[in-house]
Amino acid sequence: MSGEASPNLRLVHEPVLTTGGEELLAALRGALAALQANQEEINDLNVFPVPDGDTGSNMYLTLRSAVEEAADAADPSSAAAVLGAAAHGSLMGARGNSGVILSQVLRGLAQGVEGQARLDVRGWAHGFAEARTVAYKAVMKPTEGTILSIIREAAEEAERGADDSADIAALLERVVLASHAAVARTTEQLQVLRDAGVVDAGGFGLAVILDAMSRSIAAPGSASGSQTPHAAGDRPEAPLETTGRAQRPRGRRGAAAVAAKQGGWGYCTEFLIHGPGLDLEALRDEMGRLGESALVVGDDDLVRVHIHTGEPAPLIALASSRGRLSKLKVEDISAQHHDVLDRAEAVATAEAQSPGGRIAPEAPRKAVGVVSVAPGQGFRDILASLGADAVVEGGQTMNPSIEDLLNAVRAAHAETVVLLPNNGNVILTAEQVDGLIDECEVRVVPTRNLPQGISALLALEPDAGLDANVERMTAAIEHVHALEVTRAVRDSASNGHHIKAGDVLGILDDEIREVGSDEAGVIEAVLGSVDAPPELVTVYRGGDVTAADADALAAGLRKRFTQTEFEVHDGGQEHYSYVLSLE
Amino acid sequence: MIRIVTDSTSDILPDQAKRLGIDVVPLTVRFGDEQFRDGIDLDPDAFYRRLSNTTVQPRTSQPTPEQFAEVYRRHVSAGDSVVSVHISAKLSGTLQSASLAASEFPDEAVRVVDSTTVSAGMQFLVRTALADVAAGSDAAAVEKGVADRRGRVGVYVLLDTLTYLHRGGRIGRAQSFVGGILNVKPLLCVRDGEVHPEARVRSRQQGIAKLVEIAVAQGPLEGLAAFHCGAPGQLSLIQPLLEAAYPDLEVIPGQLGAVVGTYSGPGGVGIALLRAR
Repeated sequence: MSGEASPNLRLVHEPVLTTGGEELLAALRGALAALQANQEEINDLNVFPVPDGDTGSNMYLTLRSAVEEAADAADPSSAAAVLGAAAHGSLMGARGNSGVILSQVLRGLAQGVEGQARLDVRGWAHGFAEARTVAYKAVMKPTEGTILSIIREAAEEAERGADDSADIAALLERVVLASHAAVARTTEQLQVLRDAGVVDAGGFGLAVILDAMSRSIAAPGSASGSQTPHAAGDRPEAPLETTGRAQRPRGRRGAAAVAAKQGGWGYCTEFLIHGPGLDLEALRDEMGRLGESALVVGDDDLVRVHIHTGEPAPLIALASSRGRLSKLKVEDISAQHHDVLDRAEAVATAEAQSPGGRIAPEAPRKAVGVVSVAPGQGFRDILASLGADAVVEGGQTMNPSIEDLLNAVRAAHAETVVLLPNNGNVILTAEQVDGLIDECEVRVVPTRNLPQGISALLALEPDAGLDANVERMTAAIEHVHALEVTRAVRDSASNGHHIKAGDVLGILDDEIREVGSDEAGVIEAVLGSVDAPPELVTVYRGGDVTAADADALAAGLRKRFTQTEFEVHDGGQEHYSYVLSLE
Repeated sequence: MIRIVTDSTSDILPDQAKRLGIDVVPLTVRFGDEQFRDGIDLDPDAFYRRLSNTTVQPRTSQPTPEQFAEVYRRHVSAGDSVVSVHISAKLSGTLQSASLAASEFPDEAVRVVDSTTVSAGMQFLVRTALADVAAGSDAAAVEKGVADRRGRVGVYVLLDTLTYLHRGGRIGRAQSFVGGILNVKPLLCVRDGEVHPEARVRSRQQGIAKLVEIAVAQGPLEGLAAFHCGAPGQLSLIQPLLEAAYPDLEVIPGQLGAVVGTYSGPGGVGIALLRAR
């Protein structure tokens, strides 16, 4: 009944007429595994030579949060319930711009299915259409050549596909083809992508997700979802050659470092199988082949299984065919590790920043609180000393999730909160927070870097109201310029500069102004090029720069720029040897 | 006749006082064992010179009731009544000494008023009180005039350093305001009798711009003054900007005296203003 519609697609499966909650959860798990496997690949699609936001890691962490919540859906058999839970989970876990947009795609999908327990092709098409609408709404100036183009083309193809066939597998296959084609086109749609010779990272990530979901739904129970999505022989190759590329040795930290294990045994799966008549030896053998570190113990009445596997679904399916299951627990191993770190950090930060530690819930709330985001302990200490009520760890390469920000906003214990993202990649995430919290009003002052964040915080007037403070703080960021110094992570041509990996880049207000071989030379050149010499330059040294080096740099600058005062502080940021604020 | 009495925290110097025909009762400034009458034995220039060259934190003490009583006695015995205008009671015990002294005299002979401000801010209240006297107001009306106007006075000081506020143990609320890591210059405001943190800036240029911004935002004004803390060069930076903002007002120049200067330290600059009704 399908397949004929497009002769180049081979029908290798039974038609799938409806999908329910279980299938969707399995599909989302497959997508998560695929995203994890492709995480570095997506990260490496960075357009800019600066260490940029890790799109792959952000999307992975966002989807992981979606899957975690979907697994706890109130009605696991209902498509609407699973998607609804996934949407909520993704929103809580959304990091970075691509993560936020992904969460909006899931939200749209969940809205579009309109409460149906099982979806047919119409349900899917409607879900995609709504996903497109919601995702476009999330972005103030939608740009083609980004993840938005992919969801748009996917939605359009789904609409056409639903007219042609009732087979969901066939529909999704068309959607996947259309998304990959849309990904390929992004290179031509955006100048920055053309210059760098890459496709859009977030768009590619979405295609990977759709691809894996499609695979899982077409062949439920197959283990293919855990493999790189482009390996299966019956699928068209992705427009990008993704499997053979050597991994760049890059100093990634945080999320990417935790989850770098390619296609690994990502889930710690535990359950009990109830007999009678269980064959322990046979089970040990069967289960052992599907995972690692298998522990299969018990007797013919009850067997306990603890196993690490990349794809829990077939394992569980097999086990359930052998007996009744209970105490089923599936946990993402890297997620455990990461969550522990995240939570410890969030609590430590909230406690450290609020005088007297935890604030008793009955304590009176401040009128205006400030929550800020910063990489590096030095910056976090400075922000806290200037009156930030909570400082969330994060920045260029470790974008905080919406939930991280929400928790910090709660920890601020204020009636209204000003949120300072201090990074262009965090602004969109920050803007989602107000819609998710009832007990206080949250406003974002869109600070794009730490110097702006510090200026905004300095303008805080605790006795003035929220509106007055947002106005003061927004005005304050116009009077400061940020010079960020880093090393290029890749060769590129950007803004008229020919950049080689390892070059020192001087980025003034988000624009590459100078390329050179040493920090001092680049900083001097940029400072020498600004219209009016600044009165005060504050030098924040990165975590890898010693105090002695920073002082030596400042001494040299004082000699050269006699009208300017230089102050040196420990910022502790990663990737950027120096961040300078020019006032 | 109605006599106006004030104290040395008004930063009205002796020769000015003579010209205005008022009494300025001095507070006492001590550097270690050395003791000075504020503004008389120690003028502001000498005070800031000393302050910069010592690690000893100067101490100030309010005038004794007897110092006030002496002045009041002279006027009351001559048949005059007194309106005595003093530094905010929340900043100094001066008003208390004055009130104690006044209680020795018949009712309404001496009226003591809390200016709820200090320095150039007090000067506006003293000058307008003198104008009321000249216009023929009685003592009660002069007293009421001060009380009515004091809510319209603002004093703003940009400190160059927090060192002296620290040393004097008066940093209080300003501590959390200015933090401790970055070199932040606080802009403090005396309002409703108390010192409030008003703004914080990273550079003097930003601070001066902020002071001018405040002067403009508070307008229309009846009075505007600019003062420095042992740094006359600062005045020449701010005065032209204030004059440009208020071409019809005389920007009265001055210097912050020893009592407040003990806490501000040298290098600060500030403004005082009297808002129009």
